[in-house]
Amino acid sequence: MSMDLDLKEGRSRPSLLSSFLTPRAAAASPAILTVLLIPGLVIVAAFFLIPLARVAVEVGNGPEGWGTYLLILTNARYLESLIQTLAMSAGVTMMALVLCAIVGLFLVRNRFAGRSILIGTLTLPLSFPGTVVGFMVIMLAGRQGVIGGLTDAAFGAKLVFAYDIAGLFIGYLYFSIPRVILAVMASAEKLDLQLEEAARSLGASRFRVICDVILPGLMPGLISSGAICFATAMGAFGTAFTLATDIDVLPMVIYTEFTRNANIPVAAALSIVLGLITWACLAAVRSFTGEGKSLPVRGGA
Amino acid sequence: MTTSQKQAAQAQDAGTAIALTNCAKTFADGTRALMPFDLSITAGETLVLLGPSGCGKTTILRMIAGLEFPDAGGAIHFGEDDVTRHSIEQRRVGMVFQSYALFPNMTVAENVAYGLKVQKVGKAERDQRVREMLEMMHIDMLADRRVDQLSGGQRQRVALARAIAPRPRVLLLDEPLTALDAKLRVRLRTEINALLRKLGITAIYVTHDQEEAMALGDRIVVMQKGEIAQIGTPQEIYRAPKTPFVADFVGASNCLKVDIENGRALLGRVDVDVSRAWNANPATDGLSEIYFRADGLMLCAPHDAHFTATVEAVSYLGEKLRVTVAGIGNDAVIVDTDPDSVVRLGETVHCRLVPEKLTMFAAN
Repeated sequence: MSMDLDLKEGRSRPSLLSSFLTPRAAAASPAILTVLLIPGLVIVAAFFLIPLARVAVEVGNGPEGWGTYLLILTNARYLESLIQTLAMSAGVTMMALVLCAIVGLFLVRNRFAGRSILIGTLTLPLSFPGTVVGFMVIMLAGRQGVIGGLTDAAFGAKLVFAYDIAGLFIGYLYFSIPRVILAVMASAEKLDLQLEEAARSLGASRFRVICDVILPGLMPGLISSGAICFATAMGAFGTAFTLATDIDVLPMVIYTEFTRNANIPVAAALSIVLGLITWACLAAVRSFTGEGKSLPVRGGA
Repeated sequence: MTTSQKQAAQAQDAGTAIALTNCAKTFADGTRALMPFDLSITAGETLVLLGPSGCGKTTILRMIAGLEFPDAGGAIHFGEDDVTRHSIEQRRVGMVFQSYALFPNMTVAENVAYGLKVQKVGKAERDQRVREMLEMMHIDMLADRRVDQLSGGQRQRVALARAIAPRPRVLLLDEPLTALDAKLRVRLRTEINALLRKLGITAIYVTHDQEEAMALGDRIVVMQKGEIAQIGTPQEIYRAPKTPFVADFVGASNCLKVDIENGRALLGRVDVDVSRAWNANPATDGLSEIYFRADGLMLCAPHDAHFTATVEAVSYLGEKLRVTVAGIGNDAVIVDTDPDSVVRLGETVHCRLVPEKLTMFAAN
């Protein structure tokens, strides 16, 4: 009985804290909003701005000073790595977009048994770290891989491509597909079928309908998911590391310079360049698709 | 009308006659959307398909468009051409949708030019035709606007211009005014009517709004559950409904269940001579349903009355006063009267039926 009374009193006289925490009070007072923002600002500063500044400063502390940036753009090995990483990421992005546009549209437009299981399976790579993806590529196309075993049995020669550019490409594609396919499916759901019917009534062939109606409709989703795909591929490390590939992707070079050669200024400069390129890519996409349209959160691989 | 508008009107193809023969539609899941039917539309005619949602009217439209195909045995002819197996791209139809379906990535002018571009009409001729269309629809000042900057009424004008620009053989309109507000709907309806007459194009117009159907149709096809309930001019449909469904669906209808004996309806204490009902048939004695509109009953002096009733609701509609009365039959009945008369809620009023305006059906 006494508890009841207490509760009632508690309700009728809200504490000072609860009045601060109601959305109305917070919205009414910029001061309170600022106070509430402090934890977020602290985290941004501690785990983002400070390390970033430190990395940027490390470049200047090296023997080449700020010239390190120039060095990495003129040194053949670093430049080659940068170009290879860009080419690989761009290639994987294009391939993922083409595949996912077709598959995503098909999955949205058709209902069949096992459809939701298939969609679930296609998004499975999201839950794997890059190392596991690399491991799977080895199981598929490595020296002991499925493809090698089959070709050995059939032709007496093992087909092995896990450790060269093809293996890396497959690994990257594997973890890129879920990011793109989910975005494409979200865009495809919103396509207005009547637009296609209108185009067809005006005499447009299937191919023209794809070019004039479907692709423009999917474009925002393709651009934003393509950007995420590209950024993820630029930064992917685990897969390349596991495959111990002969392709030096930029994250691998950074790792080698930092841990094995203790070449901290170069590793730092490469990190900054990698970050800038990826950031520029995302920023370009933001301006393409219009400010305010949020991009999906980037996941690591 | 400017010279270019006249040219545009003259350049339009003369209408094409359309014939659907023994067309039925069964969907993949086994649902029978349309029972077999025949339907002919004369060249230049505006035919309205009217009915509640799910009655099959849109399926007929889509069949004519080439977006659905009739079950085996059905045939569709555009003039002499058998188009039964032609897809929509090959049929040269113009379509206007409820949702406008304008291409969002194109300007107004690009939307209107699209059909001509697909048909590889030269740029000069295309631009000329687009200009004519935009002028005809009074949207020439919007040519370079993006579609999302237009109001609903403007969008539907663009959609009409786009559909008409490639000179289709038939114009198909699927509830084009449903998404607009009431006032705009009436205005655009009048414009569409004038446009269809001017162009002389064969048009098929789907709606669930009977007022729209009456205003636009040369003939109206009333649909019910996948079947044609009645085909006729607006007057025929309104004044001489052939089934209880048509009587009930077209216009606000009142229904009384009565016993008929020798041409007289027995209504409690009184019996009314219904032998002058337009479809009165001396053979149909027995339990019947009498349908009549708000003008089939009138308020009158006590000595002329067939009934007394209690006023349940009164709405002033400007040109008339609409009174809902209870006490005649089981349901409330609507009666229109002089807008200047004074009728109070709860008041007892005297009414009489107007025999010429009654429609009778045998009750099930």
